[in-house]
Amino acid sequence: MLDAFLAGAHQVFAFDTLIYMLIGSIAGIVAAAIPGFTVTMAIILTLPLTFTMDPLQGVSVMLSVYVGGYTGGLISAALLGIPGTPSSVATTFDAYPMARKGEPGRALSLGVWSSFFGTVISTIVLVLAAPPLALIAVKLGPWEYFSLIVFALTIVASLVGNSLMRGLIAGVIGLGIATIGPDPMMGRPRLTFDSDILLPGLPFLVVLIGIFAISQLMSEVEDHGKKDASGALIPDVIEFKTWSVMREVLMRPINLVRSSLVGVFIGALPGAGGSIANLLAYDQAKRSSKKPEEFGKGTPDGVIASEAGNSATAGGGLIPMIALGIPGSAVDAILMAALMVHGISVGPRLIMDNADLAYGMFVAMVVASLMMLVVCVLSMRLFLRVTDIPKQFIVPTVMICCVIGAFALNNRVTDLYLLGAIGLVGYGLKSLDYPLAPLVLGVILGPIAETNLRRALMSDGDWTVFFTRPISAVLLAAALLSVIFSVRSVLKMRKKDRPTTDEQDGD
Amino acid sequence: MMSKADKSAAAGASVPAASRARTEFARLISYIVFGLGSVYLSVRASALPTSRWEPLGAGSFPQLVFAVLAGLCLIAAVRAVIDIRKAGQLDGLATALSGWIKARRISFALFGCLVVYLSVMPLAGFSLATFVFLMIAQLLIAGLSKKTVVQSLIAAVIFSVGLNMLFAEVFNVFLPRGVLFAG
Repeated sequence: MLDAFLAGAHQVFAFDTLIYMLIGSIAGIVAAAIPGFTVTMAIILTLPLTFTMDPLQGVSVMLSVYVGGYTGGLISAALLGIPGTPSSVATTFDAYPMARKGEPGRALSLGVWSSFFGTVISTIVLVLAAPPLALIAVKLGPWEYFSLIVFALTIVASLVGNSLMRGLIAGVIGLGIATIGPDPMMGRPRLTFDSDILLPGLPFLVVLIGIFAISQLMSEVEDHGKKDASGALIPDVIEFKTWSVMREVLMRPINLVRSSLVGVFIGALPGAGGSIANLLAYDQAKRSSKKPEEFGKGTPDGVIASEAGNSATAGGGLIPMIALGIPGSAVDAILMAALMVHGISVGPRLIMDNADLAYGMFVAMVVASLMMLVVCVLSMRLFLRVTDIPKQFIVPTVMICCVIGAFALNNRVTDLYLLGAIGLVGYGLKSLDYPLAPLVLGVILGPIAETNLRRALMSDGDWTVFFTRPISAVLLAAALLSVIFSVRSVLKMRKKDRPTTDEQDGD
Repeated sequence: MMSKADKSAAAGASVPAASRARTEFARLISYIVFGLGSVYLSVRASALPTSRWEPLGAGSFPQLVFAVLAGLCLIAAVRAVIDIRKAGQLDGLATALSGWIKARRISFALFGCLVVYLSVMPLAGFSLATFVFLMIAQLLIAGLSKKTVVQSLIAAVIFSVGLNMLFAEVFNVFLPRGVLFAG
């Protein structure tokens, strides 16, 4: 084991590999910072560049993009309120208010350090506990998956926004959007109205950009002329204390470790990734906090939970991939493809046949997270320059980046028309105070939910199995409890804050 | 009989109540639109042929999802009606709507520009369409002056031609080339 570990480390610490990884790390951060440019897209664009490299070198570069990408999403989430990737949706809840309150530097530093520690913790878990965690993950059948998604949706609906009902409606609208196009099992077209635009379905990325980015950009110019004369998105003087923020993160060890472990577990579940982990970790942090009312208003605990949670999925996702050959996410599937291009079969025999490669990947994860940290700490001032740019430049330019992001996914002009239409719907929903995160999560989880529901009923037509299988029953009970708990807290809050809510609603 | 102070206090309290009623009314319309839309889509989904190989066909899941959505919208609509009736008054709807639109005039103008931009892109190509969109959008937000025109011009050139080159040369992503202008 030690020989393999040293052989892997030797390859990763080669000078050219380190240089490539540094470039990959910067590329990942920059790509994810652009709204609409996901980590997956950055990895896809990196894949052809690694074909000429050694397998471990290529995978190390892709891991750098991966780790960098998970952190990069926080930049636009904190500074613009637009999640750069779905994994940083929960980051906007607190990092953005914190930045708006005049602490954008602190918001970014918190996110960067939490991401770093989240990745390191997930790598430690990956090395130590890969086999048992992977075994738990593969024991889940379609019943458990469907119940997990129901649980995830109820959590998301209750988690964001001012109204559980509007959260649930938004989540179900997301599920409905996901049903447009070919059905995930047989490919039969549904609800397409014989339209060429709708025939391939609504691409998730286009929905994400339209719902979040276009609506956010439109509301950015809403109060133009009323607010600050400079027109900058975040007007106050920026001050960030990297080392004191590091201590601030380390002073919250329970939140950090819990959120990282949530990220590892979610990452290890095939299909579930950073997009769920950041919300679940945030939810857990909020529920166990002594001051849950501070969440959503710029509390550091919210930023730490979300960023540690999403970054930890990087390590968690590698667990089933390395141990069993099952990719934990789309990104892991691309990593797997990169290895297969080099003739390496990924599966249980990977650690036996190519131990240096497997252990080299563990080392590369740690190196990639260190590189991400160094790049972010050194260039954070550069990222904060975004805040000095007036709205007149940033809003139309980010809109162009969104258009490019939507187009580059499939090279389809029709996706751009969808982008415009979805953007308008998103803006309407945002104006009526519908939370947008459940909708986007609904679009991601819809096909997974449907596939697992149909698979479950194909193997056993009895609906009661969902309640008789213990893990599935626990997840469904947790979903029900989540709704009950939320309704209770909403009723309590309503009684308490009625006059304030009235005024806010009237805005 | 009410004193002057009481009257003004009552008027002050009725402002947020009326405002809340108007917001709830706007939401009620959205619940009705989503509810009716989901009933229609649920019926459409039920018309999809069933599968011979599985208990659930292609239409079952969308049918279930849209039925749940219709149910949720119905509950939300009933609650909204109760809230509106509690608030008691629903006056000044037209004034509130025109105020709402006025506050968002730049947002809607920007969206209009986006729609035109996306529509003409296949004809004009990415660079030309983006250049024109950026010029108009920037001047729309910043206002028209010599300084803003120069700044917008520079930014429009950089982000239209520059982005096209960056994506084509570095990322191998070729943005739409126009019929009228190939750039």
